[in-house]
Amino acid sequence: MNPIVLEGMTVRYGDRLALDNVSLAVPEGSVYALLGRNGSGKSSLVRCLLGGQKPEAGRVLILDRDAWTERASALAQVGVVPEEPDAPPTMNARQLSRFCSRLYPAWDAAGMEARLKRFGISATTPFGQLSKGQKGQVSLALALAPAPRLLVLDDPTLGLDAVARKAVFGELIGELADRGITVFITTHDLAGIEPIADRVGVLRAGRLVLDEEMEALKGRFRRVSFPRAQAAGVSRLEALAPLAVAARGWEVEAVVSNYDEESFTASRLGKAEDPEVTALTLEEIFIALTGEVEEGNR
Amino acid sequence: MPPTLRIDPRDARPIWRQIEENVQHLVARGALLAGAPVPSVRDLARELQVNPATVSKAYQRLTDAGVLSVRRGEGTFVADTPPAFSDSRRSGRLQEEAVRYASLAVTLGASREEALATFEAAWRSLTNGQPDSEGEEA
Repeated sequence: MNPIVLEGMTVRYGDRLALDNVSLAVPEGSVYALLGRNGSGKSSLVRCLLGGQKPEAGRVLILDRDAWTERASALAQVGVVPEEPDAPPTMNARQLSRFCSRLYPAWDAAGMEARLKRFGISATTPFGQLSKGQKGQVSLALALAPAPRLLVLDDPTLGLDAVARKAVFGELIGELADRGITVFITTHDLAGIEPIADRVGVLRAGRLVLDEEMEALKGRFRRVSFPRAQAAGVSRLEALAPLAVAARGWEVEAVVSNYDEESFTASRLGKAEDPEVTALTLEEIFIALTGEVEEGNR
Repeated sequence: MPPTLRIDPRDARPIWRQIEENVQHLVARGALLAGAPVPSVRDLARELQVNPATVSKAYQRLTDAGVLSVRRGEGTFVADTPPAFSDSRRSGRLQEEAVRYASLAVTLGASREEALATFEAAWRSLTNGQPDSEGEEA
């Protein structure tokens, strides 16, 4: 059973199509990273996923239950860290833990306190006095306390510094190691999620333009570059059906999405021309796919 | 992790293979000694900030290859007699690095004699005082 299944989900605001027939499945025990620029439809998708909005067409299944029509039972075993964590500002983390514990059959209060300690957050500071990043960390500690089967995180490292970000991912990694939890995460922290996610989805203008295993994705993208002076090599770049070709400094480079080690360099480029072939980071792949190259930012 | 083990997102190899080959390398050059404990999957995953399943896959392959051994209830250790690098892998690496060095020497306009003498000197300084019988090409 896949803990999350989206089937042909469409969301429209007036005549603007926010999500266009999006389908995906998150396998049990995996980490699914949903990426997209602001305005790509991520927020609408997460709202529907958590039963907060009814899609115009299609449906969402969470642990085999419809997120809209059976919201309460669907979300009973789901831990959620929202983009804007919210709680009564005068309650501290310990009080929040006690309050929430009554809503769940099992509640690991000691684990909650241990996480706060690892985050370096006092259990007695009122929620309203915490920074945005700390609110997110309290929210994560609360989400993990009932030992959920599924965790949904909406940009949990937004506004966190490097140390706090490492602590958040560290908790996630610990849960994965200890309990084999399933994770669905949206994030702009592509470098942080790259070595953790098993599968990646990319939303662009409401459409899911990519839904693939991380390893396969990383394996088929390469940057191929030649010295500009090597006209023969440069003309061959076009034959690779690249996503983009650009001249940079001394070199001409192409980003290709169909790399295959066996046949690629030898048969299609020729050995003599000595192209440089390098792997791309997830961030570079994302930029290549969503099409906005920020010149002067490299 | 006593000796450093790094992963690189620009490396074309998948992360599990980077871990696998790095551990093999650390064992082969004696930075991880036979019988020494290695971190748990959980600890190494947290340390490297990678998915524990990835570390687990690397450890499994290293265990299957006889580089690591699992002692039930105690943890994972470098095997008592870890296998050496396979001959083909070893000569492949050697050749790769030799090409790199040779092309650097050519680029800098060094003569063949100068390049060989520099190599000799580097070799001597590394193997200083040790009988250099092992590791020589046949």
